[in-house]
Amino acid sequence: MDSVNTIEILEYTKCKFLKYLEIAKINYLNNSAYLVNLISRSGIVIIRIWIFTQLYKVTYSVSGTNIIGDLTLPMVIWSLMLTQSFQIATKPMVSKLIEEEVKLGTLAYSLNKPYSYLLFNYFGFLGRTFVNNSSNLILGTVAALLLVGPINFSAKSIILGLFLLFFGYTIDFFISFTIGVSAFWIEDISAFMWIYSKGQMVLGGLILPLSLFPDSLRKIAEILPFSQLYYGAARTMVNFDWALFQKFFLTQLAWVVFFGIVSYYIFHKGIKKISINGG
Amino acid sequence: MAVNYIRKIISLYIPLTWEVTKLSILSAMEYRLSFIIQVMGMVVNDIGFVLLWLIFFKRFPSIQGWQFQDSIILLSIGTLSFSFAMITARGAIDLGKLIARGELDYYLSFPKNVLWHSVVSKTEISAIGDLFFGIIIYFFSANPSFSGLLYVLLISAMVGIILISFIILTESISFYVGSFEEAAEQMWHSLLGFSFYPQVAFHGVLKAITLTVLPAFFIAALPVRLIKDFQPGYFLLLLAFCAGITALAIAVFHNGLKKYESGNLINVKI
Repeated sequence: MDSVNTIEILEYTKCKFLKYLEIAKINYLNNSAYLVNLISRSGIVIIRIWIFTQLYKVTYSVSGTNIIGDLTLPMVIWSLMLTQSFQIATKPMVSKLIEEEVKLGTLAYSLNKPYSYLLFNYFGFLGRTFVNNSSNLILGTVAALLLVGPINFSAKSIILGLFLLFFGYTIDFFISFTIGVSAFWIEDISAFMWIYSKGQMVLGGLILPLSLFPDSLRKIAEILPFSQLYYGAARTMVNFDWALFQKFFLTQLAWVVFFGIVSYYIFHKGIKKISINGG
Repeated sequence: MAVNYIRKIISLYIPLTWEVTKLSILSAMEYRLSFIIQVMGMVVNDIGFVLLWLIFFKRFPSIQGWQFQDSIILLSIGTLSFSFAMITARGAIDLGKLIARGELDYYLSFPKNVLWHSVVSKTEISAIGDLFFGIIIYFFSANPSFSGLLYVLLISAMVGIILISFIILTESISFYVGSFEEAAEQMWHSLLGFSFYPQVAFHGVLKAITLTVLPAFFIAALPVRLIKDFQPGYFLLLLAFCAGITALAIAVFHNGLKKYESGNLINVKI
């Protein structure tokens, strides 16, 4: 009897999971259908990497040293290429999509469907991000190879970096989702999106890797959520450090739990707040 | 001909732009909380740029003579010019979409200039935050003064005109190739991206790009040089580029308008 129940539960869970996997797949196919758009969006990675290369070449030559904060110039450029690719892949932001749903009123159609609104958005986000990342990373890798040449990547650093990236994206989703559902209270949430993006830019290693920060500031930045989004993964990939990996992973877990609870709570509080006009 | 055109702009279109923009801002202010959040949010957003360069220049105090104070001037001009462009002419960014979808008809039916009307039809409220920030941050530059601020505002107004013209120019390509709005948007973001970094870093092909396709040199490097050290030659160069790109944008738009095909949409705007 017990084994029958277990099988039923497993089947039920599998069905539920497959449903969300299909959502991720649909978003993946939808985004990969417009190849020209996809590539033109990724083009911005090339331009930024080009700018960074010239900026940091000058900076390193002025400093008169090959290594700053444990990173060589090629490592800095590869790290920036990765963080930029990972971040650009999240566009359009989940918060922007939710805000549009609220403004247009299409939220009414999403909320009465037989799925969790949070998980629907999460898997959709993962599907979109996957395809965007593929394009960004291919073009970004070509640009980085041409501009500064290759660096040593190990299989371990890539696998563990991808592991951190998955949790980084989960934190990003929870934060963006929380900002998005705040549109249930205030319709225009652009200001929160800008501030969040700026936090990523300044403290998330998108322009200046945290290894180049002054020590005291770096220690603070490394435990803030912004550095856990993409920088942890990029830093692990370009210059693996076991102690740093463990630190990133534990910090990420704490932020995943924290923002997971916050987003769930805000969403369920907000859902009671909204009124949908039928007709 | 040209004198009459300029006289018409000064006597008719500048006061009209002022009235349209004032109305847009007043109507946005009806939603007081949203207005305050957008403006203050943009100020906080811009402070992020200062923090970034503060950290950067703490580590690398000078890059080929470019220092933190230069980035402050660049930020001041950048935010002020962006605010001038987006407060008065936010509609320019939507031109490509309007052209591709055949939705310019609405503006064709009005007695005033089509380009002017479509461009001033929208105001980016958050850009008011940029305006405040640009003025405040100027006073953190090396040698601030009130006369200096007026000079920065003049240079920023010229850069603002270059920005609007650049958007019109790239968005108008939709007249000729069908759909160019996404590419035009990428070019706009790339231009802003180039103008954000220390300008001494660019050389070679990248420098050539900043002088031509994405004229970041004229919206960032040259204005900073002018603020730090006024030279009539540089001022005339900026003025000439401003006039040239404006004339080109207007010509490209009006020439393209002859090729415009209506979308035959019937909309009621209340």
